[in-house]
Amino acid sequence: MSRSHASAGTSGADGHASPTAGTTVHVRVLRQDAPAQESYWERHDVPYEPNMNVISVLQRIAAAARAKDGRRVAPVAWDCNCLEEVCGSCTMLVNGRTRMACTALVDKLLEENPEEIELKPMSKFPVVRDLVVDRGRVFRALERVQAWVPVDGSYDHGPGPRISPEQQEDAYPLSTCMSCGCCLEACPQFTKIEVHQRSGESVEQLAQRRDEAYDDGFVGAHAISQAVLFNNHPTGKMIADERMTALTAPGGIQMCGNAQNCVAVCPKQIPLTRSIARAGRAATVWAIKKLFDR
Amino acid sequence: MSQHEPSRSFFYRNQFLIYRLFSLSGLIPVGAFLVVHLLTNASVLGGAGAFQSRVDMIHSLGPLLVPIEWAFIFLPMLFHATVGFVIIAGGLPNVGSYPYVGNIRYTLQRATGMIAFVFIIWHIMHLHWLGTPFGGGKFDPHHATSSAATALQPLGISLLYAIGVLSAVFHFANGLWTLGITWGLWTSPAAMRRASYLSIGVGVLLGAAGLGALGGMRSTNVEQARAIETRMEDVKHMLDGQGGAGNAPAAGTALELPQLKLTPPLP
Ligand code: HEM
Ligand code: SF4
Ligand code: SF4
Ligand code: FES
Repeated sequence: MSRSHASAGTSGADGHASPTAGTTVHVRVLRQDAPAQESYWERHDVPYEPNMNVISVLQRIAAAARAKDGRRVAPVAWDCNCLEEVCGSCTMLVNGRTRMACTALVDKLLEENPEEIELKPMSKFPVVRDLVVDRGRVFRALERVQAWVPVDGSYDHGPGPRISPEQQEDAYPLSTCMSCGCCLEACPQFTKIEVHQRSGESVEQLAQRRDEAYDDGFVGAHAISQAVLFNNHPTGKMIADERMTALTAPGGIQMCGNAQNCVAVCPKQIPLTRSIARAGRAATVWAIKKLFDR
Repeated sequence: MSQHEPSRSFFYRNQFLIYRLFSLSGLIPVGAFLVVHLLTNASVLGGAGAFQSRVDMIHSLGPLLVPIEWAFIFLPMLFHATVGFVIIAGGLPNVGSYPYVGNIRYTLQRATGMIAFVFIIWHIMHLHWLGTPFGGGKFDPHHATSSAATALQPLGISLLYAIGVLSAVFHFANGLWTLGITWGLWTSPAAMRRASYLSIGVGVLLGAAGLGALGGMRSTNVEQARAIETRMEDVKHMLDGQGGAGNAPAAGTALELPQLKLTPPLP
């Protein structure tokens, strides 16, 4: 009793020491029960443990299934998979900033704001439930720019061309993109597109209508960067022109307003501004070429 | 949000081309005009005669001046501003959540664009002859310094000009940097760093020129400026009356001729 009192006193004295066992972490979650429903705030208290991340906080919240006021509530839903910042599925707004929940450490967050941790779903993607969003547009954008090496076929093409160490070094950072969508969430030029199912509409019809709506919007920094990655790959280059057509189509690279939030928030620290500038240069050359080749 | 309607307007179909022309128009001709305009104005620091002879040079275009103004200044600026407002409307500034330098510059780029827009319209009404029917049009090309100084010397007007000019300068200097990304002029971190120096240099130089011109106008003695201008005009008329500079100058003109050089001595 007296021991725990003393330790609480020590941590309170210098104010910034990390909280000790017995402390409570206050969490505020923006919840939403289903698509197109109203969202609402809910408070949760979680006993502090050393080395917690936002995922473990959410696990405690789910296990308790009680709000701060004692009401029994449905567990808060969230997405995660790898827990080591490589799968890109756990993106959410933690204290108002887009980041990966798995690498958002509670000790660091309490340094930012000792009062509470605020969790919100991403604001640029349709909410499925609570903190789970539909990041389908991230992947649709990769389809738009054909972010892959086209090697499908029915016979063996033999080994591909050699890639120099310099090229590898250039490509590697871009290849670490995990489609988390942080760059899109923070981008002031990237605005939300949400398509709801109409009554009597089949899932296929909905999917088609959604893709069409997505294809009108900005492709986003990640897709521009992936187009650069594959246009500089010796085999990926084969469809470089198709990628340039996509990048200069409506919603393409011209929608970027150079805010550089993407590069500031990318958890993989991908040099996105560099990719955008390189794609901009390629688009300049491409547009001039097209002007004279017609 | 759910009512997203795919629009197939001319603007939508030609988005890439229009945005690139927009970006280009910010540099040429609108940005180039800004540079020439501010440096011309700064010549007032060399005295009323210096500024007057620059203005005379521009006005020697005569009847060509109006079409040139519309083709190379007003219309491109209207185009840039129109597309600029469309871009501003499509964005969702978020400096509150992401207070990074790049994002602050992005937001300032939009804010200064809008300030510059309001300022430029007011500035044209205030000094350009297009504003004459509205009680403006206070600039008299035959009395360049004295008329401009009279119009600009009230403190409130000077302050509004300072805000407008600095907004336009920031917008242009920062726009220069982003333009390099748009067109892919600087793609490596080192090149981007050098581009930052270039943009800051251009911004500081133009800002100094703009504020210098304003300071020059504020410290002008209107009476003296008017005297110099009148004398310069007399010389011009005399030369015209003699049937061009090729003829031998009449007696008396020889004395005045040196004043056609940029800096006439004060009386
Ligand atoms: C009159 C009202 C104006 C408005 C509303 C306006 C608006 C804008 C906006 C929103 C941008 C950002 C575009 C983007 O990065 O996506 C921009 C860029 C730019 N503006 Fe303006 N502008 C105006 C006037 C001017 C003036 C007077 C100049 C020149 C002195 C200028 C030069 C530029 C330049 C060089 C860019 C960079 C283009 C790029 O990033 O590729 N603008 N303008
Ligand atoms: S570029 Fe970075 S922020 Fe964007 S999706 Fe890829 S990893 Fe995430
Ligand atoms: S640089 Fe372009 S893509 Fe990146 S955040 Fe800014 S506007 Fe968006
Ligand atoms: S769980 Fe995979 S990135 Fe966070």
